[in-house]
Formats: sequence, C-alpha cells, structure tokens
Amino acid sequence: MAHLLQPRAYVALLALLAALLIPIGLQSSFVFHLAIQVCVFASLAVAWNIVGGFTGQLSLGHAVFYGIGSYAAGLLVAHFGIPPWLGMFAGALVSMITALVIAYPTMRLRGPFFSLATIAFLEVARLLVIHEESWTGGSAGLNVPLQIGLKWMIFREKWAYLLVAFGFFLFTLLISWMVRRSRFGFYLIAVREREDAARAVGVNAVNAKMMAAVISAALTSLIGSFHGMYLTFLEPSSAFSLEMSIQIAMFALIGGIGTVAGPVIGAVLVLPVAELARGWLSAFGNGTHGFVYGVLLVVVVLFFPRGIVGHLSERVLRIVDRLPRGPLPQKELITSLRPSFHLAPKGTPILKAVNLEKRFGGLRATDKVSITLHAGEILGVIGPNGAGKTTVFNQLSGFIKPDKGTVQVLDASGVWVSPSTPEIFAKAGVGRTFQIVQPFAGMSVLENIMLGGFLHTPHRNEAEAIAQEVADLTDLTKLLHTEARSLTIGGMKRLEVARALATRPRILLLDEVLAGLNPSDVVKAIEMIRRIRDAGISVLMIEHLMQATMALSDRIVVIDLGRVLRQGKPEEVVNDIEVIQAYLGKGYTHAESS
Amino acid sequence: MSLLLQLLVNGLLLGGAYAIISIGLTLIFGVVRIVNFAHGEFLMIGMYVVWLFAQHMGLHPYAAAPLVALLLFCLGALMQRAIIQPLLSADGHIQIFATVGVSTALLNLALMLFGADIRKVDAVFGTEPLSLGSLTYVSGQLITFVAALLIATALHLFLKHTYTGRAFRALSQNRVAAALMGVNVNAMYVLAFGMGTGLVGLAAGLISVQYPAFPTVGSYFVLTAFVIVVLGGMGSLPGAVIGSLFIGLIDSFAGYFVGPDLKEVVYFLVFLGILSIRPTGLFGLGRGSE
Repeated sequence: MAHLLQPRAYVALLALLAALLIPIGLQSSFVFHLAIQVCVFASLAVAWNIVGGFTGQLSLGHAVFYGIGSYAAGLLVAHFGIPPWLGMFAGALVSMITALVIAYPTMRLRGPFFSLATIAFLEVARLLVIHEESWTGGSAGLNVPLQIGLKWMIFREKWAYLLVAFGFFLFTLLISWMVRRSRFGFYLIAVREREDAARAVGVNAVNAKMMAAVISAALTSLIGSFHGMYLTFLEPSSAFSLEMSIQIAMFALIGGIGTVAGPVIGAVLVLPVAELARGWLSAFGNGTHGFVYGVLLVVVVLFFPRGIVGHLSERVLRIVDRLPRGPLPQKELITSLRPSFHLAPKGTPILKAVNLEKRFGGLRATDKVSITLHAGEILGVIGPNGAGKTTVFNQLSGFIKPDKGTVQVLDASGVWVSPSTPEIFAKAGVGRTFQIVQPFAGMSVLENIMLGGFLHTPHRNEAEAIAQEVADLTDLTKLLHTEARSLTIGGMKRLEVARALATRPRILLLDEVLAGLNPSDVVKAIEMIRRIRDAGISVLMIEHLMQATMALSDRIVVIDLGRVLRQGKPEEVVNDIEVIQAYLGKGYTHAESS
Repeated sequence: MSLLLQLLVNGLLLGGAYAIISIGLTLIFGVVRIVNFAHGEFLMIGMYVVWLFAQHMGLHPYAAAPLVALLLFCLGALMQRAIIQPLLSADGHIQIFATVGVSTALLNLALMLFGADIRKVDAVFGTEPLSLGSLTYVSGQLITFVAALLIATALHLFLKHTYTGRAFRALSQNRVAAALMGVNVNAMYVLAFGMGTGLVGLAAGLISVQYPAFPTVGSYFVLTAFVIVVLGGMGSLPGAVIGSLFIGLIDSFAGYFVGPDLKEVVYFLVFLGILSIRPTGLFGLGRGSE
C-alpha cells in the first residue's frame, strides 16, 4: 500500500476521484449526463485499445459488441424479465463468441483490410437486427421497460447512474492496466511490432490476438449493456453504427493509442468539448459534434500522431515526480536466477536435421541437407551467397516447413521431439537471431530481453532478473534502459542474441551476428559467443566472416547450391579444393597450381 | 425466364454505376497505396453540387457532370497534398484515421448545411422507362452503364500508353524505384488522387438522375465500392469492373430471392469469405498490397 503514497499513484487517484466528485458537487443534470457519457466512452475507448492499441489491429466495427451488449440486456429485460445485471453477462458471452468468429478469418488481414472487414461485420450485424424485426423491434427500435431500481439498472437520480458508470469505468481500466503490465501485454505489443521475432521467443501470435479480441469484446459488451439501460431506448442505427465505432477509436488515438491512460484522457478532453460545441452551434442542427470530431481527427493525425500521452507524458510525469515523496527508487532485484540448463553430455547429438528438402517453385533451395549439432559445440555453417544457408536455418527454427525430411530436438527432459512452429521450437529450447535485426524498437533494451525471459515465467520480476543476467553476458548492462531503436548495429545484434538467450535455450542459432560490425564489436561478439558456449549452450552459427568462423567453430558445414558440400574440422574444410572452388570459382584453383 | 433475364439486366446496369465509383477508389489505392475512407463523401459532395446546379441554374446532371468532376479533382488533389502527402511514411493506422477523419468531417458538414432531408434532382432525360421485348429499364441506367465501360476503357488506354499512365503503374509497383527513374512521386500522387475523386464527380452526375442526395449517401455507395474493390483486388482496374458487375448481379438476385433488406448481408458475407481465403482479393497485387 506504500505505493499509494507515491506521487504518480496519488495524482492518478485524485484525478479519478475528481471525475466522480465534481459532478456530484455541481448537481447539474447536464454535468451529470456529461460525466456519465465520459465514463461510458472512456471505458469503450479503453476496451477498444486492448485490440486497437496493444495489438495494433484497427477495428472500426467495435460497435458490434456495444450493440450486442445493449440489445442482449434490453431484450432479456423486455421479453423475459431478466435483470440486466445477469443479462449483461449473456451479452458478453455472445460478444466473446462473435469476437472469435470475427477474429479468426480476419487475423491475417493487415491495416485497412482489417478495418474494412470489421466494418463489414458491423454492417451485417446491423442489417440482421433490422431484419429480425419480430423480436428485435427492427429499425423502429426497442424500448427498455421502465422498471426503476438497482435491480433493473434504471434510476430516477442521475448520480446513481454516475456511480454505476464509474464502477464500470474503473473495472475496465483495471483490466487494461493488468493486461498492459502482464506477460500477456508484453506479448501483444511484441506481436504488433514484429510478429516473427515474437514467435521466435515463443509467443503464439494467433492465440495472443484472439485473447485480446475476446477480452476487448467482453468489456465493450458489458459497457454497452449499461449504456442501453441508461438510454432506455435501443435502435440499430445508433447501437451498431460506424460513427460510434470511429468515435471510440478516435478517443484512443487522441489520448494516445497503446497506452493505458491515453483513451481515458482522450475521452475526458474531447467529449465535453464536442458536447458543448453541439450546444453552442445548435443553429446548425445535427452534425456539429461529428464535424468537430472529424476535423479534430485530421488535426491530431497531422500534428500529434502519438496523441496527448505520447507527446506530453514525459513532461507531465517529470512535474508529477517533483511532488512530495519523489519518484520510486529503482528497486533492487529480489532474486538472481541462475539458468539451470539440463545439459546433454558433451559431444552427443542435441539437434538432428535429416534429409531436409525445400523447393520454391523450380528452385531447389535445400537439397537433402542433413546436419547434426552436438552438445557443447560451436558449429559454423558457411557457404557462398545464395547457397541456401538461411533457408536451412529457417527450417531448423520452424519458420519454414521442409517439404521432406525432419528436424528433431533433444528437449530439456532428454526426449527427442519434432517441433512444428517457431513458438514450439522456442519452447523446446531452440533460440534464434535474425540476420536482419528485429528489435522491438519502441521498447527498452530491458523490455526486449524480458520478452524472451517470459517464456519460462509469467512474473515480471523474474523475467527482469533473467534479463539482467543475460544482459551481463551480452555486454548490454549499461544500455538496459535505452530504447532499442537508438542502439548501434553492434548493440542491436547483441540484443538479438540476448533476447534469444533469455528464453534459456540449450541450442542457439545465430544468423550472421558478426556481419556489418566494426572490428572492435567483432572482437566483443566473438568473446560473447565463446562465453555462451562455455555456459553450456550449443551454438549453430551462419557466418560470412571467414576468419572469425574458423577461430570460433569446433566443426564447420559448407553449404553450396542447397546441398551439404563438406563438413569437418575448420582446417580440413578450409583447404578442401571443392570448397575453394565453390567460393572462388574453378579458375582460381587453376591459377594457384600454375 | 424473363424474370431471370430482367434480374440479370438490372444487376448489370446497377453494376455500371458501382463501376465508376470503384474505378476511382482502386486507382487511388493502386497508385498512392491509400485506402480512401472518404471516397464516399466525395461522391456525396458531388451529388449535392449536381443538385445545386440543377436547382439554381437548371443544369441537367449530365451537363453538370464534367464541372463536378473538375471540382472534385481539385478537392481530391488538395486532400492528397495537404493531408495524405505529409503522412505517406506514417504508420498504417495514422493513414486510416486521416481519411476516416475527413470522411466524418465531410459527412457531418453536409448534415449541418443541408440537414438530413433528401434532395432529388427533377430531370426528365434519363428517367424515361424503356423496354426491349419483355425487358424494362430506365434510360439513365443504360447511359451510366455505357459511360462506365467507356471510362474504364479510356483509363486502361491511359495507363497503358501515356507516360503518366506508365508512371502510375511504376509507382504502384515500387515507389522508390520509380522515384529513382525520375518520376515526380508527389506530383503523380496528387494527379492520381485527383483523378480518382474526379471520377467520383462523373459518377455523381450520372447517378443523380436516379438517386437523391443525402448526407450518408456516400457511405451507402462506398461500402459497396469497398467490397467490389477488395473482391477485384485492390488496385486492379479490370478487377474493379468485373467486381462491380458481380456485385450488381448479387444485389439484383439476392434482392429478389433472399429479400431486399438482406441483399447487403449476402455480399458482405461473400466479401468476408473471400477476404479470409485470399487476404489481398481475387486479383490482388500480391505482397505489399496487404
């Protein structure tokens, strides 16, 4: 509870309380109405943000869940006399199922296509409600029976509505905050930023997106149920409207998409302005507040695309931190978890690829490649450009499925398994880096590494402890709190390794981690790879830098034209005539001998 | 039999009207790589302007069409220059919000200026019922249909045989490479966006004979146009024409056999089905158009 005495916590609490106390103090029915609307729309925006912000899927059909919630509660009251306190859960259930139905086919869609698909679903829902006139009331709408009392969520006094609305708002905010702080929240953002890199540290992207869609739908639906009871009149054209969907998303954008507080701030600032504008410009009739929203939206995207929170949060937080009691001291880490590797005896196989074949159209990219990695060794994979090294690599980590052949991994309990997807490979103990670095640019170095750490623990502080330890091994300790996007290329390559190490792999696949580094970074990286091997991790590395590979590798596999050309000790391979020919062409050997 | 034939003719003629709107949308997407959520509102503005011309100057919608096209060309070019161009390298969600914002603002502006009432042009030419054997149709629908085919052909020739057209196609395939070949990217984008909205101006002139103007008329047409353009593959001109005729037919047949209030449900479901099988549409440009 000591946290509550910290400035950031008490300022936030005071702000929330003000939202409740100001209207109660003013006792004006207009202010009450405004406060209720702000609570409702802030909640809707917070719920939307779980999908639209955290996972970055811009739903413009979220009114579907609002509509389902309000209609479910309204219809159950009207037809069966079931109180909305129960009805809203029925609505939430229907919304969750609907979210799954929508999310599954639209999962692969990106950007505007996802938005269009959600609009299409919204239209279908609206038209169906209008069509089913006999029990929904059709386009004429549905009146909720006016039974007053807490049981029916319908009150004579506005303050009672406000209390309930505030309760819904707090609940939604709490869920959003919990999601953002949890491992799940990390995963959502990772999937949004770089799906491939997320899968490589064991994130099941499909499950994460579906889960977010379901949570967001349920929350939106619950708020819809309440709002239906508040309005006491439901009609398809407003409950299932595109306009409302846009409005919800807009509050989140203006406040700051992808943050917990942003959607709230957006709704608190914009909604009253628009409502007042409606009053002042009433001569123009309908449309005034919509016009204000539209213009505001354009202005915000042009000048403040990161929203209010994105542009101002640092400054505001600095002021808040100056308040009594100061900022939280950086807390000491509770535990340092030494990774406990289940070590296979040195020199025995730990990863086996047998007769891998992969074709891309007419191109035989991988042709009967068999590679075995032994415990505790560094295996270098070399070959000229276009030899098919990266394709093999992608098959060893599940990003490409081989047409023929198998990849087997000795898992932590000593059983041979054949993983099928990147996330299962990660769980089986295979970590990988990407040749083209894939940092989660908006996250700090620490958070990047923590993503890997979350593979084995759902707890933040444990993931953080793992991250600290890995950072030590990869020379990143000093950079832990910088944003990943500001690292040098050498730093980013080490971050790739760190993130993979944090999954506590027993097998590490390194894709050209030395390429593009300056000489002093190369030296650091070579030492790092040795440290990794000495910690008991078996390393398979693709590399172009010949000298470094020769120096590091215990064994070398040469790949050319999709086939394994040679394998053996570095000094044997490097003098092999076929290898020299593959790299330098036949003419070279003739030139040598003459 | 004659019923089916009549439904077929109705569907194809309706497809003609959709085609002109969809061609503009697909042109903008193909070249500028922006999904213009405000496309329908440009149509709505066009229809109000047509109505104003007819009301105050007695100008027939067909005569007003070129003027409206010019006006909308300018508006579209302005939107590209002032709003889209600064956001070309912004995040996808920012671009979506930008055009959605324009759409919301324009729709509500119309609501403020004209109210929610419908405004219908009284034109004689274009509304005469005609018949061919047992088939009946309205002359304006046929004119729109023929005009749509002519416009599509003209645009096709333009894209194939002029420098500007080639520049458009080059831009749609690779913006950076086209710029390196000396294509003035920003100017071409302004031109393409203007042409796309200009086409909507022509559409406004042509369909105002049959359809009244009201603030949400744009959303009514453009949601269908989105379906068409995604079906045909974003950015594909033949796809947009074929998609229009296809949706026109679904509209006509589903309206008769399923019920007029559910015909949209049918083609939205077709749309969602196709999107989930082929995320870039039937004749999509493939990767990068996602």
